[in-house]
Amino acid sequence: MATNDNQEVQSASDSNHQLTADGKNAQMIICPNCRCKILLKKTAELVNTDIFLPYMRVKKNTSNQESGQVDGEQLSQFWKVDNMFTFENVGFTKTVGSSIKYLICADCEIGPIGWHDINDKTTFLIATQRIHYSD
Amino acid sequence: MAKSYDYLFKLLLIGDSGVGKTCVLFRFSEDAFNSTFISTIGIDFKIRTIELDGKKIKLQIWDTAGQERFRTITTAYYRGAMGIMLVFDITNERSFENIKTWIRNIEEHAASDVEKMILGNKCDVVDKRQVSKEQAQQLAAEYGVKFSETSAKDGHNVEEAFMTLAKDIKAKMDRKQQENNNGGGSHSSPNVHVGSQGGKDKKANANRSFSWCTLL
Repeated sequence: MATNDNQEVQSASDSNHQLTADGKNAQMIICPNCRCKILLKKTAELVNTDIFLPYMRVKKNTSNQESGQVDGEQLSQFWKVDNMFTFENVGFTKTVGSSIKYLICADCEIGPIGWHDINDKTTFLIATQRIHYSD
Repeated sequence: MAKSYDYLFKLLLIGDSGVGKTCVLFRFSEDAFNSTFISTIGIDFKIRTIELDGKKIKLQIWDTAGQERFRTITTAYYRGAMGIMLVFDITNERSFENIKTWIRNIEEHAASDVEKMILGNKCDVVDKRQVSKEQAQQLAAEYGVKFSETSAKDGHNVEEAFMTLAKDIKAKMDRKQQENNNGGGSHSSPNVHVGSQGGKDKKANANRSFSWCTLL
């Protein structure tokens, strides 16, 4: 669809211009592993915020499972929706710690691809680095 | 903001522990994924979107994970549920026998008109069947619910199972809606309760069979 809607002001980097159209995701957001549809185009807003997510892939025998630590990384760019039913397909883990739920692919269950704090019922985040796009 | 869907159905998956989860693990056999992390935490629910008769339906599918240990599920869990998938493993007779227990539990705690469906899951690649299709069909007929059998080999058909359940819920809702509309009209008929407790005499058309892997 409209890929040339780049006139709007974007504070983010150049590459974001390809990501967004009318301030929303220009393309459909899909699972990086099985291509399951996660969000239809123009349903999510690009936001910058720092959130720690455990890695999706771990090498056997090198995890810190014994020590109880989780290997992961700080991510800073996310697609945000304010209603969980905006998702086409997604899975929610049980609550971790006091209020965090991780989001996973509903089909292949790869994850975490995103994050939700149950104390904030209008923020559901999907990490841009952990998904793919499709027309 | 306009809703992006026409219907929202809350569905529950109920059955003995292990009846559906093992096959999910197959997909992790190539081992690249951090399956331990996700499976240690466990999955609470999934949102899936399907289309029926041109209508967009959001399914919120809850697993009972952990709670089934107690053989009963709390009323809170059943609250608002419109459909229930009763799952057993065809290689585990006990899980089949327990379907009756689960149905009693549902009758006690869930809404009386909740749609039910029985699924016989074959998680194992090697067929160690303990429950015949006929046995399961008979049980389903006794309770007046649909039955389907699935196999982990062909994962994409999971959608069809939920489709069937969703279709029945939607039909029931549309019927009720229709009744309400008619009720206000000039030729209103006496109230007929559709799909309430007396569901036992409902026909069980149990001949479709499909398969899935991603149960939840």
